[in-house]
Amino acid sequence: MQSKTLGGLPVKKGLRLSDILVTVLISLVFGVVYHFWASVYSLFKPLFPEAGELMYGMWFAAATLAFLLIRKPGVAVIAELAAAHIEVLFGSGWGLNLLLYGLIQGLACELVFAAFRYRKTGAWVVALAGAAAAFGSMFMDFYLSYTDDYALWMFIYKYSMRVISGVLIAGLAMLALAKALERTGVTSLLNPASSKDYAALDDARNG
Amino acid sequence: MNVWGQDRITWLHKANPVVKLGILLLLFTMTVLTHNLDFIMYQAAVFTVCLVLLCGLKLWKIGLFSLPFLIAFVSSASTMMLFGKGETIWWEWGLFKVSEESFYRGLHLGFKGIAFAAEGLLFVTTTSSVALFYGLMQKLKLAPKFAYSFMASIRLLPMVWEEFLIRRQALQVRGMRPVKGIRGLAERANMFAVPLLAQSIRRAHRVAAAMEAKQFDGDQGKGRTFFYESRYSRYDLVIMLLLAAAAGAAYLFSIWAPGFGIGDVRFN
Repeated sequence: MQSKTLGGLPVKKGLRLSDILVTVLISLVFGVVYHFWASVYSLFKPLFPEAGELMYGMWFAAATLAFLLIRKPGVAVIAELAAAHIEVLFGSGWGLNLLLYGLIQGLACELVFAAFRYRKTGAWVVALAGAAAAFGSMFMDFYLSYTDDYALWMFIYKYSMRVISGVLIAGLAMLALAKALERTGVTSLLNPASSKDYAALDDARNG
Repeated sequence: MNVWGQDRITWLHKANPVVKLGILLLLFTMTVLTHNLDFIMYQAAVFTVCLVLLCGLKLWKIGLFSLPFLIAFVSSASTMMLFGKGETIWWEWGLFKVSEESFYRGLHLGFKGIAFAAEGLLFVTTTSSVALFYGLMQKLKLAPKFAYSFMASIRLLPMVWEEFLIRRQALQVRGMRPVKGIRGLAERANMFAVPLLAQSIRRAHRVAAAMEAKQFDGDQGKGRTFFYESRYSRYDLVIMLLLAAAAGAAYLFSIWAPGFGIGDVRFN
Protein backbone atom coordinates (compact mmCIF):
# COMPACT_ATOMS: atom_id res chain seq x y z
CA MET A 1 0.00 0.00 0.00
CA GLN A 2 1.44 3.34 -1.01
CA SER A 3 0.45 6.52 0.66
CA LYS A 4 1.16 10.09 -0.21
CA THR A 5 0.38 13.20 1.68
CA LEU A 6 -2.02 15.80 0.44
CA GLY A 7 -2.04 18.93 2.51
CA GLY A 8 -0.80 17.09 5.58
CA LEU A 9 -3.53 14.46 5.34
CA PRO A 10 -2.31 11.01 4.34
CA VAL A 11 -4.33 9.56 1.49
CA LYS A 12 -4.16 5.81 1.13
CA LYS A 13 -4.11 4.38 -2.34
CA GLY A 14 -5.03 0.88 -1.20
CA LEU A 15 -8.39 -0.33 0.02
CA ARG A 16 -10.22 2.14 2.22
CA LEU A 17 -12.95 1.21 4.66
CA SER A 18 -15.59 2.34 2.20
CA ASP A 19 -14.19 0.11 -0.56
CA ILE A 20 -14.17 -2.85 1.78
CA LEU A 21 -17.63 -2.14 3.15
CA VAL A 22 -19.17 -1.83 -0.30
CA THR A 23 -17.37 -4.98 -1.48
CA VAL A 24 -18.45 -6.92 1.57
CA LEU A 25 -22.06 -5.78 1.47
CA ILE A 26 -22.43 -6.65 -2.22
CA SER A 27 -20.78 -9.98 -1.53
CA LEU A 28 -23.04 -10.73 1.38
CA VAL A 29 -26.04 -10.14 -0.88
CA PHE A 30 -24.40 -12.58 -3.25
CA GLY A 31 -23.75 -14.92 -0.34
CA VAL A 32 -27.49 -15.09 0.27
CA VAL A 33 -27.99 -15.74 -3.45
CA TYR A 34 -25.24 -18.41 -3.30
CA HIS A 35 -27.06 -20.08 -0.45
CA PHE A 36 -30.34 -20.32 -2.31
CA TRP A 37 -28.57 -21.09 -5.57
CA ALA A 38 -27.92 -24.56 -4.19
CA SER A 39 -31.60 -25.29 -4.77
CA VAL A 40 -31.44 -23.98 -8.37
CA TYR A 41 -28.43 -26.24 -8.82
CA SER A 42 -30.27 -29.27 -7.52
CA LEU A 43 -33.33 -28.40 -9.62
CA PHE A 44 -31.18 -28.54 -12.73
CA LYS A 45 -29.32 -31.64 -11.66
CA PRO A 46 -31.90 -34.29 -12.61
CA LEU A 47 -32.33 -32.94 -16.18
CA PHE A 48 -29.30 -34.85 -17.43
CA PRO A 49 -26.14 -36.05 -15.67
CA GLU A 50 -24.30 -33.11 -14.10
CA ALA A 51 -26.66 -30.54 -15.62
CA GLY A 52 -26.20 -28.58 -12.41
CA GLU A 53 -22.71 -27.66 -13.58
CA LEU A 54 -24.27 -25.24 -16.07
CA MET A 55 -25.43 -23.20 -13.08
CA TYR A 56 -22.12 -23.38 -11.23
CA GLY A 57 -20.79 -20.05 -12.49
CA MET A 58 -23.08 -18.11 -10.17
CA TRP A 59 -20.78 -19.12 -7.31
CA PHE A 60 -17.96 -17.07 -8.86
CA ALA A 61 -20.07 -14.01 -9.57
CA ALA A 62 -19.31 -11.99 -6.43
CA ALA A 63 -15.63 -11.76 -7.33
CA THR A 64 -16.12 -10.48 -10.86
CA LEU A 65 -18.95 -8.07 -10.07
CA ALA A 66 -17.17 -6.58 -7.06
CA PHE A 67 -14.06 -6.06 -9.12
CA LEU A 68 -16.00 -4.45 -11.96
CA LEU A 69 -17.40 -1.94 -9.47
CA ILE A 70 -14.26 -1.32 -7.40
CA ARG A 71 -11.20 -1.81 -9.56
CA LYS A 72 -8.58 -2.26 -6.88
CA PRO A 73 -6.25 -5.11 -5.94
CA GLY A 74 -7.65 -7.55 -3.41
CA VAL A 75 -11.31 -6.85 -4.07
CA ALA A 76 -12.00 -10.13 -5.88
CA VAL A 77 -10.54 -12.26 -3.09
CA ILE A 78 -12.35 -10.36 -0.33
CA ALA A 79 -15.61 -10.58 -2.27
CA GLU A 80 -15.48 -14.36 -2.74
CA LEU A 81 -14.42 -14.91 0.87
CA ALA A 82 -17.19 -12.68 2.19
CA ALA A 83 -19.81 -14.42 0.07
CA ALA A 84 -18.55 -17.84 1.19
CA HIS A 85 -18.55 -16.66 4.79
CA ILE A 86 -22.26 -15.84 4.68
CA GLU A 87 -22.95 -19.25 3.15
CA VAL A 88 -21.07 -20.93 5.99
CA LEU A 89 -22.91 -18.73 8.51
CA PHE A 90 -26.23 -19.98 7.19
CA GLY A 91 -25.15 -23.51 7.97
CA SER A 92 -24.45 -24.96 4.59
CA GLY A 93 -23.95 -28.68 4.34
CA TRP A 94 -20.52 -28.01 2.88
CA GLY A 95 -19.17 -26.43 6.05
CA LEU A 96 -15.80 -24.78 6.21
CA ASN A 97 -14.70 -26.04 2.78
CA LEU A 98 -16.68 -23.22 1.30
CA LEU A 99 -14.17 -20.76 2.72
CA LEU A 100 -11.40 -22.65 0.94
CA TYR A 101 -13.37 -22.74 -2.29
CA GLY A 102 -14.09 -19.03 -1.92
CA LEU A 103 -10.44 -18.26 -1.34
CA ILE A 104 -9.15 -20.23 -4.31
CA GLN A 105 -11.89 -18.98 -6.67
CA GLY A 106 -11.29 -15.39 -5.59
CA LEU A 107 -7.53 -15.81 -6.01
CA ALA A 108 -8.00 -17.25 -9.50
CA CYS A 109 -10.07 -14.21 -10.54
CA GLU A 110 -7.61 -11.90 -8.82
CA LEU A 111 -4.69 -13.42 -10.77
CA VAL A 112 -6.45 -12.76 -14.06
CA PHE A 113 -7.21 -9.17 -13.14
CA ALA A 114 -3.66 -8.71 -11.84
CA ALA A 115 -2.27 -10.09 -15.11
CA PHE A 116 -3.96 -7.14 -16.82
CA ARG A 117 -2.65 -4.84 -14.05
CA TYR A 118 -6.20 -4.15 -12.83
CA ARG A 119 -6.74 -1.83 -15.80
CA LYS A 120 -8.64 -3.89 -18.37
CA THR A 121 -12.24 -4.81 -17.70
CA GLY A 122 -13.47 -5.84 -21.13
CA ALA A 123 -15.63 -8.86 -21.90
CA TRP A 124 -12.59 -11.07 -22.61
CA VAL A 125 -10.87 -10.30 -19.34
CA VAL A 126 -13.99 -10.88 -17.25
CA ALA A 127 -14.81 -14.07 -19.15
CA LEU A 128 -11.27 -15.26 -18.53
CA ALA A 129 -11.67 -14.51 -14.83
CA GLY A 130 -14.87 -16.59 -14.74
CA ALA A 131 -13.08 -19.48 -16.45
CA ALA A 132 -10.11 -19.14 -14.09
CA ALA A 133 -12.43 -19.40 -11.09
CA ALA A 134 -13.86 -22.60 -12.58
CA PHE A 135 -10.33 -24.01 -12.83
CA GLY A 136 -9.68 -22.96 -9.26
CA SER A 137 -12.70 -24.83 -8.00
CA MET A 138 -11.63 -27.83 -10.11
CA PHE A 139 -8.35 -28.08 -8.21
CA MET A 140 -10.21 -27.99 -4.92
CA ASP A 141 -12.39 -30.83 -6.18
CA PHE A 142 -9.31 -32.98 -6.80
CA TYR A 143 -8.40 -32.90 -3.15
CA LEU A 144 -11.84 -32.93 -1.61
CA SER A 145 -13.88 -35.12 -3.94
CA TYR A 146 -11.28 -37.13 -5.87
CA THR A 147 -12.83 -35.99 -9.14
CA ASP A 148 -9.65 -36.99 -10.94
CA ASP A 149 -10.93 -40.55 -10.30
CA TYR A 150 -13.95 -39.98 -12.54
CA ALA A 151 -14.06 -41.76 -15.87
CA LEU A 152 -12.24 -39.53 -18.35
CA TRP A 153 -15.26 -38.56 -20.48
CA MET A 154 -17.19 -37.66 -17.32
CA PHE A 155 -14.33 -35.51 -16.09
CA ILE A 156 -14.03 -33.52 -19.31
CA TYR A 157 -17.80 -33.24 -19.71
CA LYS A 158 -18.34 -32.01 -16.14
CA TYR A 159 -15.58 -29.42 -16.08
CA SER A 160 -16.10 -28.04 -19.56
CA MET A 161 -19.68 -27.27 -18.53
CA ARG A 162 -18.39 -25.56 -15.40
CA VAL A 163 -15.94 -23.43 -17.37
CA ILE A 164 -18.67 -22.43 -19.84
CA SER A 165 -20.91 -21.55 -16.93
CA GLY A 166 -18.15 -19.49 -15.35
CA VAL A 167 -17.64 -17.56 -18.56
CA LEU A 168 -21.36 -16.94 -19.12
CA ILE A 169 -22.65 -16.25 -15.61
CA ALA A 170 -19.64 -14.92 -13.70
CA GLY A 171 -18.16 -13.28 -16.78
CA LEU A 172 -20.60 -11.90 -19.29
CA ALA A 173 -23.76 -11.70 -17.17
CA MET A 174 -21.90 -9.82 -14.41
CA LEU A 175 -20.42 -7.45 -16.98
CA ALA A 176 -23.94 -6.68 -18.15
CA LEU A 177 -25.07 -6.21 -14.56
CA ALA A 178 -22.15 -3.90 -13.83
CA LYS A 179 -23.02 -1.80 -16.90
CA ALA A 180 -26.64 -1.61 -15.76
CA LEU A 181 -25.42 -0.44 -12.35
CA GLU A 182 -23.23 2.17 -14.01
CA ARG A 183 -26.29 3.58 -15.75
CA THR A 184 -27.95 4.15 -12.35
CA GLY A 185 -25.05 6.42 -11.41
CA VAL A 186 -24.16 4.75 -8.11
CA THR A 187 -20.73 3.74 -9.33
CA SER A 188 -19.70 7.40 -9.36
CA LEU A 189 -19.64 7.03 -5.56
CA LEU A 190 -17.01 4.34 -5.87
CA ASN A 191 -14.68 5.94 -8.36
CA PRO A 192 -11.25 6.66 -6.97
CA ALA A 193 -11.78 10.44 -7.04
CA SER A 194 -11.09 10.42 -3.33
CA SER A 195 -7.72 12.14 -3.35
CA LYS A 196 -9.19 15.15 -5.13
CA ASP A 197 -12.14 15.17 -2.75
CA TYR A 198 -9.87 15.08 0.26
CA ALA A 199 -7.79 17.90 -1.16
CA ALA A 200 -10.90 19.99 -1.72
CA LEU A 201 -12.06 19.32 1.81
CA ASP A 202 -8.68 20.23 3.16
CA ASP A 203 -8.56 23.50 1.26
CA ALA A 204 -11.92 24.57 2.55
CA ARG A 205 -10.97 23.83 6.12
CA ASN A 206 -7.71 25.68 5.93
CA GLY A 207 -9.45 28.65 4.43
CA MET B 1 -25.59 -11.63 15.89
CA ASN B 2 -26.28 -15.32 15.91
CA VAL B 3 -28.79 -16.42 13.29
CA TRP B 4 -29.34 -19.71 15.09
CA GLY B 5 -30.97 -18.48 18.32
CA GLN B 6 -29.46 -20.98 20.73
CA ASP B 7 -31.66 -22.56 23.38
CA ARG B 8 -28.95 -23.36 25.94
CA ILE B 9 -25.34 -22.33 26.43
CA THR B 10 -22.74 -25.07 26.11
CA TRP B 11 -18.98 -25.19 26.68
CA LEU B 12 -18.49 -24.51 23.02
CA HIS B 13 -20.34 -21.19 23.30
CA LYS B 14 -18.07 -20.11 26.15
CA ALA B 15 -14.80 -20.88 24.38
CA ASN B 16 -12.90 -18.12 22.57
CA PRO B 17 -13.89 -17.98 18.88
CA VAL B 18 -10.27 -17.78 17.74
CA VAL B 19 -9.37 -20.95 19.64
CA LYS B 20 -12.48 -22.63 18.30
CA LEU B 21 -11.65 -21.60 14.76
CA GLY B 22 -8.11 -22.93 15.17
CA ILE B 23 -9.25 -26.31 16.48
CA LEU B 24 -11.93 -26.71 13.86
CA LEU B 25 -9.50 -25.82 11.08
CA LEU B 26 -7.21 -28.55 12.39
CA LEU B 27 -10.07 -31.07 12.48
CA PHE B 28 -11.07 -29.93 9.02
CA THR B 29 -7.53 -30.53 7.75
CA MET B 30 -7.61 -33.99 9.30
CA THR B 31 -10.87 -34.77 7.48
CA VAL B 32 -9.49 -33.48 4.18
CA LEU B 33 -6.44 -35.70 4.48
CA THR B 34 -8.37 -38.84 5.47
CA HIS B 35 -8.52 -41.40 2.69
CA ASN B 36 -9.52 -44.32 4.87
CA LEU B 37 -13.18 -45.30 4.71
CA ASP B 38 -13.50 -46.59 8.30
CA PHE B 39 -11.83 -43.55 9.82
CA ILE B 40 -14.03 -41.12 7.88
CA MET B 41 -17.16 -43.05 8.81
CA TYR B 42 -16.35 -42.78 12.50
CA GLN B 43 -15.43 -39.12 12.09
CA ALA B 44 -18.83 -38.44 10.60
CA ALA B 45 -20.51 -40.29 13.48
CA VAL B 46 -18.42 -38.74 16.26
CA PHE B 47 -18.74 -35.14 15.04
CA THR B 48 -22.47 -35.54 14.52
CA VAL B 49 -22.73 -36.67 18.15
CA CYS B 50 -20.61 -33.67 19.21
CA LEU B 51 -22.91 -31.40 17.24
CA VAL B 52 -26.07 -32.75 18.85
CA LEU B 53 -24.55 -32.42 22.33
CA LEU B 54 -22.74 -29.10 21.96
CA CYS B 55 -24.69 -26.93 19.55
CA GLY B 56 -27.18 -25.85 22.23
CA LEU B 57 -30.21 -26.11 19.97
CA LYS B 58 -33.40 -28.06 20.54
CA LEU B 59 -33.65 -31.44 18.86
CA TRP B 60 -36.28 -30.41 16.32
CA LYS B 61 -34.05 -27.60 15.11
CA ILE B 62 -31.17 -30.04 14.76
CA GLY B 63 -33.49 -32.25 12.73
CA LEU B 64 -34.27 -29.31 10.49
CA PHE B 65 -30.68 -28.43 9.77
CA SER B 66 -29.55 -32.01 9.31
CA LEU B 67 -31.23 -31.72 5.91
CA PRO B 68 -28.00 -30.33 4.41
CA PHE B 69 -26.30 -33.48 5.72
CA LEU B 70 -28.56 -35.57 3.54
CA ILE B 71 -28.04 -33.37 0.49
CA ALA B 72 -24.28 -33.35 1.05
CA PHE B 73 -24.28 -37.13 1.33
CA VAL B 74 -26.36 -37.82 -1.76
CA SER B 75 -24.79 -35.28 -4.06
CA SER B 76 -21.20 -36.15 -3.09
CA ALA B 77 -21.71 -39.87 -3.26
CA SER B 78 -23.93 -40.37 -6.29
CA THR B 79 -21.76 -39.11 -9.17
CA MET B 80 -18.65 -40.87 -7.93
CA MET B 81 -20.54 -44.13 -7.49
CA LEU B 82 -22.03 -44.02 -10.97
CA PHE B 83 -19.16 -42.58 -12.97
CA GLY B 84 -16.00 -43.30 -10.99
CA LYS B 85 -13.06 -45.32 -12.16
CA GLY B 86 -12.88 -48.92 -10.99
CA GLU B 87 -12.07 -52.44 -12.10
CA THR B 88 -14.42 -54.82 -10.27
CA ILE B 89 -17.67 -54.03 -12.09
CA TRP B 90 -20.86 -54.66 -10.15
CA TRP B 91 -23.45 -53.19 -12.47
CA GLU B 92 -23.40 -51.53 -15.87
CA TRP B 93 -26.09 -49.85 -17.92
CA GLY B 94 -25.17 -47.58 -20.78
CA LEU B 95 -22.93 -44.86 -19.48
CA PHE B 96 -23.58 -45.80 -15.87
CA LYS B 97 -21.03 -48.10 -14.36
CA VAL B 98 -20.89 -49.00 -10.69
CA SER B 99 -17.71 -50.72 -9.65
CA GLU B 100 -16.64 -51.87 -6.21
CA GLU B 101 -13.93 -49.20 -6.03
CA SER B 102 -16.15 -46.36 -7.15
CA PHE B 103 -18.94 -47.47 -4.81
CA TYR B 104 -16.69 -47.37 -1.75
CA ARG B 105 -15.13 -44.11 -2.90
CA GLY B 106 -18.62 -42.65 -3.25
CA LEU B 107 -19.54 -43.86 0.22
CA HIS B 108 -16.35 -42.30 1.52
CA LEU B 109 -17.26 -38.95 -0.05
CA GLY B 110 -20.70 -39.14 1.49
CA PHE B 111 -19.28 -39.62 4.99
CA LYS B 112 -16.71 -36.93 4.33
CA GLY B 113 -19.52 -34.56 3.42
CA ILE B 114 -21.26 -35.31 6.72
CA ALA B 115 -18.03 -34.82 8.68
CA PHE B 116 -17.48 -31.44 6.99
CA ALA B 117 -21.06 -30.38 7.61
CA ALA B 118 -20.87 -31.32 11.28
CA GLU B 119 -17.56 -29.50 11.79
CA GLY B 120 -18.83 -26.39 10.04
CA LEU B 121 -22.09 -26.36 12.00
CA LEU B 122 -20.24 -26.91 15.29
CA PHE B 123 -18.52 -23.59 14.71
CA VAL B 124 -21.38 -21.67 13.18
CA THR B 125 -24.09 -22.59 15.68
CA THR B 126 -21.97 -21.66 18.68
CA THR B 127 -20.24 -18.47 17.57
CA SER B 128 -21.65 -15.00 17.05
CA SER B 129 -20.14 -12.91 14.26
CA VAL B 130 -19.40 -10.06 16.66
CA ALA B 131 -17.47 -12.33 19.02
CA LEU B 132 -15.57 -13.83 16.11
CA PHE B 133 -14.51 -10.53 14.57
CA TYR B 134 -13.60 -8.94 17.91
CA GLY B 135 -11.53 -12.05 18.61
CA LEU B 136 -9.83 -11.84 15.21
CA MET B 137 -9.01 -8.15 15.75
CA GLN B 138 -7.65 -8.59 19.26
CA LYS B 139 -5.96 -11.96 19.08
CA LEU B 140 -4.93 -12.24 15.43
CA LYS B 141 -4.46 -8.52 14.66
CA LEU B 142 -6.95 -8.43 11.81
CA ALA B 143 -7.12 -4.84 10.53
CA PRO B 144 -10.16 -3.12 12.09
CA LYS B 145 -11.37 -1.90 8.70
CA PHE B 146 -11.98 -5.49 7.60
CA ALA B 147 -13.58 -6.60 10.85
CA TYR B 148 -15.89 -3.60 11.14
CA SER B 149 -16.82 -3.83 7.45
CA PHE B 150 -17.95 -7.40 7.94
CA MET B 151 -19.88 -6.64 11.11
CA ALA B 152 -21.57 -3.58 9.63
CA SER B 153 -22.49 -5.45 6.46
CA ILE B 154 -24.10 -8.26 8.39
CA ARG B 155 -26.21 -5.67 10.17
CA LEU B 156 -27.18 -4.09 6.84
CA LEU B 157 -28.24 -7.39 5.32
CA PRO B 158 -31.76 -7.45 6.85
CA MET B 159 -32.37 -4.04 5.23
CA VAL B 160 -31.55 -5.51 1.84
CA TRP B 161 -34.05 -8.27 2.53
CA GLU B 162 -36.68 -5.71 3.53
CA GLU B 163 -36.04 -3.79 0.33
CA PHE B 164 -36.44 -6.99 -1.63
CA LEU B 165 -39.90 -7.49 -0.09
CA ILE B 166 -40.90 -3.88 -0.78
CA ARG B 167 -39.69 -4.12 -4.35
CA ARG B 168 -41.70 -7.31 -4.84
CA GLN B 169 -44.84 -5.69 -3.46
CA ALA B 170 -44.29 -2.62 -5.63
CA LEU B 171 -44.00 -4.76 -8.75
CA GLN B 172 -47.13 -6.66 -7.78
CA VAL B 173 -49.09 -3.44 -7.24
CA ARG B 174 -48.01 -2.24 -10.66
CA GLY B 175 -49.37 -5.46 -12.11
CA MET B 176 -46.11 -7.03 -13.24
CA ARG B 177 -46.87 -10.62 -14.10
CA PRO B 178 -44.03 -13.10 -13.78
CA VAL B 179 -43.11 -14.41 -17.21
CA LYS B 180 -42.54 -18.12 -17.27
CA GLY B 181 -39.42 -19.94 -18.42
CA ILE B 182 -35.76 -19.04 -18.41
CA ARG B 183 -36.35 -15.68 -20.11
CA GLY B 184 -38.78 -14.71 -17.39
CA LEU B 185 -36.29 -15.77 -14.75
CA ALA B 186 -33.60 -13.55 -16.26
CA GLU B 187 -36.06 -10.68 -16.61
CA ARG B 188 -37.09 -10.98 -12.99
CA ALA B 189 -33.48 -11.21 -11.82
CA ASN B 190 -32.76 -7.99 -13.67
CA MET B 191 -35.77 -6.29 -12.14
CA PHE B 192 -34.51 -7.06 -8.63
CA ALA B 193 -30.75 -7.15 -9.00
CA VAL B 194 -30.14 -3.63 -10.27
CA PRO B 195 -32.22 -1.61 -7.78
CA LEU B 196 -31.26 -3.78 -4.81
CA LEU B 197 -27.55 -3.67 -5.57
CA ALA B 198 -27.63 0.04 -6.37
CA GLN B 199 -29.33 0.80 -3.09
CA SER B 200 -26.90 -1.48 -1.21
CA ILE B 201 -23.95 0.37 -2.70
CA ARG B 202 -25.44 3.73 -1.77
CA ARG B 203 -26.16 2.64 1.77
CA ALA B 204 -22.80 0.95 2.26
CA HIS B 205 -21.03 4.04 1.01
CA ARG B 206 -22.95 6.31 3.37
CA VAL B 207 -22.32 4.05 6.36
CA ALA B 208 -18.65 3.79 5.42
CA ALA B 209 -18.29 7.58 5.31
CA ALA B 210 -19.77 7.82 8.80
CA MET B 211 -17.55 5.02 10.07
CA GLU B 212 -14.43 6.59 8.60
CA ALA B 213 -15.31 9.88 10.28
CA LYS B 214 -15.53 8.00 13.58
CA GLN B 215 -12.15 6.33 13.02
CA PHE B 216 -13.55 2.82 12.69
CA ASP B 217 -11.04 2.15 9.93
CA GLY B 218 -8.24 2.22 12.49
CA ASP B 219 -5.86 4.02 10.17
CA GLN B 220 -4.86 6.55 12.83
CA GLY B 221 -3.28 5.54 16.09
CA LYS B 222 -2.31 2.14 17.37
CA GLY B 223 -3.76 2.14 20.87
CA ARG B 224 -7.28 1.22 19.90
CA THR B 225 -9.62 0.04 22.64
CA PHE B 226 -12.53 -2.35 22.17
CA PHE B 227 -16.02 -2.41 23.60
CA TYR B 228 -15.94 -6.18 23.95
CA GLU B 229 -12.73 -7.73 25.15
CA SER B 230 -11.86 -11.11 23.73
CA ARG B 231 -10.29 -13.27 26.44
CA TYR B 232 -9.01 -16.80 26.70
CA SER B 233 -10.54 -18.92 29.45
CA ARG B 234 -10.41 -22.43 30.85
CA TYR B 235 -13.22 -23.40 28.48
CA ASP B 236 -10.72 -23.12 25.64
CA LEU B 237 -8.72 -25.91 27.23
CA VAL B 238 -11.86 -27.96 27.89
CA ILE B 239 -12.93 -27.64 24.27
CA MET B 240 -9.47 -28.45 22.96
CA LEU B 241 -9.34 -31.64 25.02
CA LEU B 242 -12.91 -32.59 24.18
CA LEU B 243 -12.56 -32.26 20.41
CA ALA B 244 -9.14 -33.88 20.41
CA ALA B 245 -10.67 -36.78 22.35
CA ALA B 246 -13.48 -36.98 19.77
CA ALA B 247 -10.98 -37.18 16.90
CA GLY B 248 -8.92 -39.72 18.85
CA ALA B 249 -12.01 -41.82 19.53
CA ALA B 250 -12.85 -41.86 15.81
CA TYR B 251 -9.33 -43.07 15.08
CA LEU B 252 -9.37 -45.76 17.75
CA PHE B 253 -12.78 -47.04 16.66
CA SER B 254 -11.51 -47.33 13.10
CA ILE B 255 -8.71 -49.58 14.38
CA TRP B 256 -10.77 -51.62 16.84
CA ALA B 257 -13.86 -52.09 14.74
CA PRO B 258 -13.08 -51.55 11.07
CA GLY B 259 -16.40 -51.99 9.30
CA PHE B 260 -15.07 -52.07 5.74
CA GLY B 261 -11.42 -52.80 6.26
CA ILE B 262 -10.23 -51.29 3.00
CA GLY B 263 -7.34 -48.86 3.10
CA ASP B 264 -7.00 -45.93 0.76
CA VAL B 265 -10.12 -45.33 -1.36
CA ARG B 266 -8.30 -43.46 -4.11
CA PHE B 267 -7.80 -45.18 -7.46
CA ASN B 268 -4.35 -46.79 -7.63
